[in-house]
Amino acid sequence: MPGGDFHPWFFIVIAAWVLTCGLGVVLFKKVMYSAVSMVFCFLGVAFAYALLNAPLVAVVQILVYVGAISIVIIFAIMLTEVQDGRFELFFNRQTAAAGVLALAAAAVLAIVSISADIGPVGDKALTPSLKMLSRLLFDRYVFPFELVSLVLVAAMIGAIVLAHREEERP
Amino acid sequence: MNPLDWWLLLAILLFCIGAFGVLARRNVIVVVMSLEIMLNAVNIALVAIANFRGGSPGAGTLFSLFIIVLAAAEVTIGLAIVIANYRNRRTVQTDTYDELKG
Repeated sequence: MPGGDFHPWFFIVIAAWVLTCGLGVVLFKKVMYSAVSMVFCFLGVAFAYALLNAPLVAVVQILVYVGAISIVIIFAIMLTEVQDGRFELFFNRQTAAAGVLALAAAAVLAIVSISADIGPVGDKALTPSLKMLSRLLFDRYVFPFELVSLVLVAAMIGAIVLAHREEERP
Repeated sequence: MNPLDWWLLLAILLFCIGAFGVLARRNVIVVVMSLEIMLNAVNIALVAIANFRGGSPGAGTLFSLFIIVLAAAEVTIGLAIVIANYRNRRTVQTDTYDELKG
């Protein structure tokens, strides 16, 4: 079972929580139910990060995903009108093929990842401190860091341009 | 199975759930949500491998942080496109996005 400082039951509960909420996102017919399920899924993933000795990622996950991305998605749901009705309105024609493909991909990936020789697996690695991470971010990974800021600026401008409605000129 | 395998199994299952959502759902917003779930699954795998393998400490954490930032940018742009398209077409169903179909 998963090693570490915690009882294996923690892993089982978190895994069941994340997978159940993930299935909820995919299977709920009402889009708003999917969104709420997604928020709980992201919270469960944050707990998974905390169990994996990555408290910084857990906090950023809650801030960005649970805080920001969920709000954006819920706004998008409220701004668009969703049709209610039959099964065909929620799932498209390739649903059966998609299910088979997803199951097959899961089986292949699981077999490969379990049988692959990925070298020694320590029971517990050292947790990188916040100081170490910030030093890495501004020293070794400074180029990707700047690129990400460029991407964020581009995304911001792009979102404004796309969502801005042109005023009718008299 | 070693401890890492259990976490990787969780990541794989979550990834495939998200992939099913992307392939099977008709509402574009649900497709975007499923994409986010796939990105989260990849992040779980990254953080788990960074935790259980020595390697270069901190790299896994930073990579997952970069992925979170890029996911935020992606969802902003994606939903802006969905809203802009909804304004013209009054629909969010994926199969009505067929203007480029020959």
